[in-house]
Amino acid sequence: MRTLQLRAALTALLVSLAGLGDGSAIAAEPLATEPLPAEQFTIQSLPSRSPHWVYVVDEAFYNEIDARVRLFDGDSYRHLGQIDAGFNPGVIQSPDGSTTAVATTYWARGGHGERTDVVEFTDNSTLSIAGEIVLPPKRVQILPTYFNLAYSSDSRFMYVAYVTPAASFGVLDPAARKVLAEIDTAGCVLVIPSGPNRVSSLCDNGRLLTVTLDEHGQEASRALSDALFDPDTDPLFIQGVPDATGYTFLSFLGQVHEVDFTGPQPSIRPPWSLVSSAERGHWRPGGEQVAAINRALGRLYVSMHRGGEGSHKEGGSEIWVFDLKTHRRLARWPMAKSSVGAVVALQVSQDEAPLLFTAGDHRAVAVFDALTGKLRHVDSNLGQSPWFFLNP
Amino acid sequence: MHPLDRIVEKSSRRLAQRTSRRGFVALLGQVLTGSMLLPLLPIDRASRAAAAGSEPPDAASPAKSPPHKTDAGGAPNAASADPQNCEYWKYCAIDGFLCSCCGGSSHSCPPGTAMSPITWIGTCHNPSDGRDYMVSYNDCCGKTSCGNCECNRNERERPLYRLSRNNDVNWCMANSDSNYHCSVSVIMGLAEQ
Repeated sequence: MRTLQLRAALTALLVSLAGLGDGSAIAAEPLATEPLPAEQFTIQSLPSRSPHWVYVVDEAFYNEIDARVRLFDGDSYRHLGQIDAGFNPGVIQSPDGSTTAVATTYWARGGHGERTDVVEFTDNSTLSIAGEIVLPPKRVQILPTYFNLAYSSDSRFMYVAYVTPAASFGVLDPAARKVLAEIDTAGCVLVIPSGPNRVSSLCDNGRLLTVTLDEHGQEASRALSDALFDPDTDPLFIQGVPDATGYTFLSFLGQVHEVDFTGPQPSIRPPWSLVSSAERGHWRPGGEQVAAINRALGRLYVSMHRGGEGSHKEGGSEIWVFDLKTHRRLARWPMAKSSVGAVVALQVSQDEAPLLFTAGDHRAVAVFDALTGKLRHVDSNLGQSPWFFLNP
Repeated sequence: MHPLDRIVEKSSRRLAQRTSRRGFVALLGQVLTGSMLLPLLPIDRASRAAAAGSEPPDAASPAKSPPHKTDAGGAPNAASADPQNCEYWKYCAIDGFLCSCCGGSSHSCPPGTAMSPITWIGTCHNPSDGRDYMVSYNDCCGKTSCGNCECNRNERERPLYRLSRNNDVNWCMANSDSNYHCSVSVIMGLAEQ
């Protein structure tokens, strides 16, 4: 009762004050019964890791020194945080998922000045930088793939691809935070990791060069594989996709080249085709991250478009889904041009109720049910050039 | 496959059959060194300076002839004759920002930037005169990305393992200030026999 009397008195006072001002009477809003409590200024902690999280690598193409990695939750559609990524970064997760490693370049004065190449380690539980390794200024500056920067299977070594334009790679010790070695690759490029001590690179003649390291990270031996592909008639995308026993590579014309990396040397399986003979040359894979695999379900998702020579970076108007065992096409999902856009990058989560993430040519990131193709969400605020996704 | 590519492919195969891998690497080194030095040769600079100085940017280009309608490889159209348009004939394998929209021209870097000494090479068809030209794609370096006139064309472009035909890698990589700003396409000569 006392409160009500007080409120009435205050209201009367406000009305009379307002009346003094301009001569008109206004109705005042009643005040809340209790004021809001004082807030505590804190740092948000991350929730527990979910298989439906995805790390979205934004190349920031229009201001390329400012790339970043955004952590996005495909269930709540929330942006959870950000990792800075400098210029043309290589980004990879450690085998235990605890660390995001970013190989990047900074200049002393922002866009110019002395160049520093560095691998930065971010603790995935806090998104804080936990350490770094300064590199020689040789790091390959190109769009992200799984093979710009890589971990050995036991995390003992890391490998960084160098192109100066001479091709080589650096061997790092992530625990001791130091560079161990540089190994010349005779023109072959990128670092495809396998086992605790092997690195393969793609060569201009369509073969794989595999270097085996000793316990100090120095070269112990090297070998060239049989021809994996013919670079003259049907080049291979460098964006290989991790599968159950190694990596799957796609060719410009839609051949699927699976390479088993479980043995001491890569073992090349017979290739198969995404397209029928009628579709060959007309329907092609394309984009920046052209395919994704859910390893448990054995499903391959490919961004496909209609196009000819020179269209290999074109986004897909459809996602095609394949069974990796039977090679049968399970589905064709047309992408809505206005909302999703032509798909230039895609990723699928690794759980049994998987989500498919796509990045469209107009920067929209879409979330689909990866079993049915049903569109769940479109987010247009995940960066200007979200061209690479990593699973947590 | 483009006729020039076929010729280059044949000669490359012959070379590969005749030479050892180490010999090839040595030759490649010479070629790369040569291409690094090429823009530094006085005669080369002089001829380009004359071309750039005597005319406004791109005015001497055959592409300045009246626009015609075409599709790829056919007769010219307005876009294929406009150096500020990604469809300009010389840009058939540029992936980046056009220097002609950033203070430079189709063959010159904007003020205050530096030319990349190493480059990738392509062949583009000029629909205005029906000829194929060998063009050198160079990046202009030392400032952050220009951001104007994004262009992504990839005719006969190839992945990183075929470095001399790749437009994804930062060709400013060997510059002292290796930041990427924009890209140009410089006519080297006729690609025809």
